[in-house]
Amino acid sequence: MDQSEKYRTLMRCPVCFSRDTDVLMVPEAGGHHYCPKCSFNGEESEVRGMYRDIQKKFHWMTKRFTLEEQRKL
Amino acid sequence: MHLNVLHRTPSDAVYSIFKRQQDLAHSFNLKTTVFVSYSDLFNEEVVKDAFQYEREFGDEIGLSIHALNGPGVSKIARTQNCIWLLNASAKREVLDIILRKFREICGRPPVSVGSYHFDSSALRILKELEPGVETVIGGCFEEGVRVFHGCNHSWYLFNEGMPWNPWYPSQSHSLRPAADEKDSSGIVAVPHLMRDMTLSYEGRNDFWASHPPNVIRGMGNDASFCPYDLNLVDQFRMQEEWNDGYSYYNTFVSASWLTWNHNSEYPPEVAWELYTKQLRYLGELKKSGEVHDSTLAEYGRWHRAYRPVGQPEVYWAKEMLYGSHKHYFWFIDPSRRILIDATQGGAVGDLRPYAGRVPVATGPDTANREIASYPFLIQSQHRSGNAHHCQDGARTTLLLSNGKAELDSSFLRSKIAAVTNTAGEASVTLTPAKFQFANGLKGELTTRHIFLPQGQIKTERTISNLSDPQAELTLTEYFKGAPGRTEYPEDMHGIRLGIDGNPKRQMEFDYSGEAFESVAATMVYAEVPQTRTRIELATVAGEAKSGAVKAGHLFSPYFTLFLTQSLKGNGKIITWTNLKNIEP
Ligand SMILES: [Zn+2]
Repeated sequence: MDQSEKYRTLMRCPVCFSRDTDVLMVPEAGGHHYCPKCSFNGEESEVRGMYRDIQKKFHWMTKRFTLEEQRKL
Repeated sequence: MHLNVLHRTPSDAVYSIFKRQQDLAHSFNLKTTVFVSYSDLFNEEVVKDAFQYEREFGDEIGLSIHALNGPGVSKIARTQNCIWLLNASAKREVLDIILRKFREICGRPPVSVGSYHFDSSALRILKELEPGVETVIGGCFEEGVRVFHGCNHSWYLFNEGMPWNPWYPSQSHSLRPAADEKDSSGIVAVPHLMRDMTLSYEGRNDFWASHPPNVIRGMGNDASFCPYDLNLVDQFRMQEEWNDGYSYYNTFVSASWLTWNHNSEYPPEVAWELYTKQLRYLGELKKSGEVHDSTLAEYGRWHRAYRPVGQPEVYWAKEMLYGSHKHYFWFIDPSRRILIDATQGGAVGDLRPYAGRVPVATGPDTANREIASYPFLIQSQHRSGNAHHCQDGARTTLLLSNGKAELDSSFLRSKIAAVTNTAGEASVTLTPAKFQFANGLKGELTTRHIFLPQGQIKTERTISNLSDPQAELTLTEYFKGAPGRTEYPEDMHGIRLGIDGNPKRQMEFDYSGEAFESVAATMVYAEVPQTRTRIELATVAGEAKSGAVKAGHLFSPYFTLFLTQSLKGNGKIITWTNLKNIEP
């Protein structure tokens, strides 16, 4: 089996990630995940929602700036 | 723009992904440099394919020093994969074994050798063992403290304070650009990836790089939509305007980033799609003549032929992910690397005083151990910068006063209005910043820094549009520094502070918190043996008003220099910031 398969179900802790730290959470039965480094725990859907919240700070995440547009930035 | 597409044969992912990467690059008519690791030199399929790529597409076979495992090497490296973190004798043994194997299999020495980093001793040993090596991947721009934190304090690569573009490593510190041929290690180095010149100063350099899966790691993508990847390409292209038409880019994505991995919550298809978009765009730019792709060896030869040793370079960084409208300006030459923060009134955010030529090698047999970063005098991210909680930290600013009213120019937000870089002289001019004192006096401040050879900076502060044209202003250039390499304080004993004024004074930095002031001061300075440099603020005699120096204490471990001039009505003051070598 491809070594990478084990990462299929793993996710980083959204609380630690919001502090710019990558910490892999431990999956438990029933789709629950907990963080070994902080006290966060939650379901996958909740985690993905928190990722979305983290991304809100990137106001220009979906903006393409061509070379000419960057000259004017 | 010059482009290197770099690939490496995978040690920890399926080989078929690497082959798809090669096919993808070739489908866009881009050539690659294939870095083969030592253990893969024993793999017939890998070697056969590498030669096939070379024959068919003009790709280069380079040597990767990323994975130190395989016959004879594993027992020396003992799971340590970083050549720069071995002691000098182990570096020599390991490199000797690997280089011999490369010659045996390829029938010639490698021209390009890749690692995340080569410290000065690894580079010297490499060149001694194999004079045919011309080009290396030599370091990761601004990788250090933040990545160490970000990887759970487990990623021991400290490369802060290095060039963002290809450079000639000096002999005594491989991350310092050589001053001249004599100082040079005889090798051309390129950075491992191009980094966002705003966000790798403000945060993790490994999120914001010319590596689409890195951006996924930073969550800068919306699934397979990520215009940032192309924006970064174009920002590097934009630098041609201020660097004699020169710009450089590389991308180096390992196969392990294109399958399930611990740095992404997306399926591998997303990373593949974004990598495809990046290479497709680079291929289109090649087609339209905007990009010139080459192997790393070819690039290194071009660099040697056309980029003189010691040439100053600049970078005008415009933030493009948060939408902050922030601008930063970077300058590098053999005397220093310096970052100007336009949002803080043209303050210095980062200063690496290369003039001191601090020698650094890493490994267990050195006092530096793992810290390969070039030491700083100012690093406002690691050392507080502008005051927001307790006392301020390492930074520069202009303090303005009118009677009892005071202003700190670090709170005056501006952008960059103009950049120049010709004939050994570079400059950055900020947009005018409007100010108003508590007493109602209003005006505008325009800051211009001019970077001259031999470590000189001329700073012009122009006051205009004063609401009272007869107003008297006192202007103090302020430099607060501390030698360091990481975020933690280092021993500052041995620093000497001085004033050339009336009276002349000198004091030893002793953590006493003591300060001295003199009138008619033409110069204030700090001699910092930790960076082997003397830093001076100077003005001409007629303009001098007063100068002061201050030692910090253990709760604020910085030295501070103050140089004050006065102005009546609108006008301009000039201050020189000089960096001088005081090698013992
Ligand atoms: Zn956590």
